[in-house]
Amino acid sequence: MISTRFVLKRLLLLVPVLVGVASLVFSILHLSPGDPALTIAGERASEEFVRQVEESLGLNDPIWVQYGRFLLDAAQFQFGESFIIQRNTAVREVLANKLPVTLELAIYGQLIGISLGIPLGILSAVKQDSITDHLTRIGALAGISVPIFWSGPLLILLFAQVLGWLPTSGRISVLYNVEAIRVTGLVTVDTLIAGNWEMFVSAVRHMILPASVIGVYSMALISRMMRSSMLEVIRQDYMRTARAKGQGSKITVLKHGFRNAMIPVITVIGIQFGGLLGGAVLTETVFAIGGIGTLLVEAIKVGDYPIVQGTVLTFAFLFTLVNLGVDITYSILDPRIEQ
Amino acid sequence: MSTETTTTNETATDVDQRGLIDRLTASPFVSRLLSNRLALAGIAIIVAMVVIALYARLFLDLEVITQSQLGTNPNRAAPSLDFPFGTDGQARSLLPRVAYGAWYAMLFGTVTVAASTVLGVGLGIVAAYYSDVTDNVIMRTMDVLLAFPSLLLALALVAIFPDDLGLWRAVAALTLVYTPRFARVVRGAALTVLENEYIDATVALGAADPRVLVRHVLPNCLAPITVQSTLNFGLAIIDLAALSFLGFGAEAGTPSWGLMLSNGVSQGLLTGVWWWSFFPGFFLALTVLGFNLLGDGMRDALDPRMREAVD
Repeated sequence: MISTRFVLKRLLLLVPVLVGVASLVFSILHLSPGDPALTIAGERASEEFVRQVEESLGLNDPIWVQYGRFLLDAAQFQFGESFIIQRNTAVREVLANKLPVTLELAIYGQLIGISLGIPLGILSAVKQDSITDHLTRIGALAGISVPIFWSGPLLILLFAQVLGWLPTSGRISVLYNVEAIRVTGLVTVDTLIAGNWEMFVSAVRHMILPASVIGVYSMALISRMMRSSMLEVIRQDYMRTARAKGQGSKITVLKHGFRNAMIPVITVIGIQFGGLLGGAVLTETVFAIGGIGTLLVEAIKVGDYPIVQGTVLTFAFLFTLVNLGVDITYSILDPRIEQ
Repeated sequence: MSTETTTTNETATDVDQRGLIDRLTASPFVSRLLSNRLALAGIAIIVAMVVIALYARLFLDLEVITQSQLGTNPNRAAPSLDFPFGTDGQARSLLPRVAYGAWYAMLFGTVTVAASTVLGVGLGIVAAYYSDVTDNVIMRTMDVLLAFPSLLLALALVAIFPDDLGLWRAVAALTLVYTPRFARVVRGAALTVLENEYIDATVALGAADPRVLVRHVLPNCLAPITVQSTLNFGLAIIDLAALSFLGFGAEAGTPSWGLMLSNGVSQGLLTGVWWWSFFPGFFLALTVLGFNLLGDGMRDALDPRMREAVD
């Protein structure tokens, strides 16, 4: 259904953007105050040792040599070793450990958002100006207005502290050692693979609050876009024709309307994924979940530059990849776009 | 916006002589906006927040709010008649602190939105007018900035600026993050405006580029710019608070909503001190809701198709 040529063309178009992204990260870190060599060597290190470290990091080379080396390294996803957070561990390894945590959160959040947002948006559009429509719209507006770092704490206070139904923070009960059964890094999947039902239940119970907090935000955005896109489609001539043919309005809406109305919604889902990654930073902080979001915050605070570079580029790469997926999905939904 | 859309047969001088209020109420955009109850609610919320912000700025003493009140006030007191929002870990009453937070949100929010609007509008219009190389350089740079999830780019950018700038470094970072959105919207709008014959006429009459852009293109792009600014206002207030929440904004002790929430999470959550999170967050969410209601209403008023019922 989609030509490989189209996909290849899109992939090629990504190259300049990714080079730009890497260049921006390089400049940000070179503009930042703070001396990486001093950070590694420690405040009380001898002058000579600091020079040695500088030499080994290549900080004495001309800036364009450093830039070229950075681009080459970044292309291979090679960011050296962490300075401080996990000293002498390759950044790649640190990221590989933490990335699944953030992805798991983002995936469940997005699933909640999509599975609630799309039906609510359609319902709202079909019943335009009814009570259901008004409630959904106000709910959606409230959903995008409430910051995650407010809804999160309030939910913890209600469900964990007052009612005691759900755990407060973390990914799984401290009684269990998830590292021992690590396969994918996603706790809800690993516990199932290990066949340990109790651990799985614990992982799911820990996931409910953080995923809902992210999911509500995503649901709000998706339902708003679904509603306005559906309203636009409902007015099209082919919809009137379908109804005139005597097709029931429910079938018309679902069969002819849905597919066409999905195109802008998919854009929002794609863009929203970026918001979701940003939201993951906040959610991880609120729920004390150690993903790459909290890793980035900590790395910036202590000045662990290789980690900062690696995390920021990973986030940008993921986001770009999702947007590529959006473009490809477009062409499946509307083959005209390919031309 | 208002004069072009007036449908009556008045001459231009008549229009100029009418007061601003008359001109505004004659505009279909404003009358549609004012007939939207949700948008009115948004305006009411924003006005209330501005009043609170100004009151706090004019009548509250920032030093007293920031200083520890241990010994004077009860510590970690739950909300009561004396302390309607309770007190924090340094026995400071939360009510004036939350009120002062409104001032910070409005002040820094306004600066962020204004700066990114000016930058983005300038870049967008220039990109649309001088196509080819200039357009490509500007818009591809914007693409790179848009390739990052916004909060994460802001986090990375904040690191460039020295710590002692406090909330200003969050403002600087977010300005750079929002600029591409304005540039995109404005470039699109300006390209449509540039198609019009009156632009060709102006150029043929010998108007210099700056005059064409400022006098003729810019005024006709104001509608999408205003909507984008309003919607971005809510986002700016949330993101500023988020950066403070993560420790990259307001300095310790500052009565900013984000910082109060951060305190509520790190120290209040496990001890069940709900009022540290509840009140600052409530005002934050309410303010953002106000801007989103207004922004939505503005968008609907600009696009009347959305209001018609289905046949």
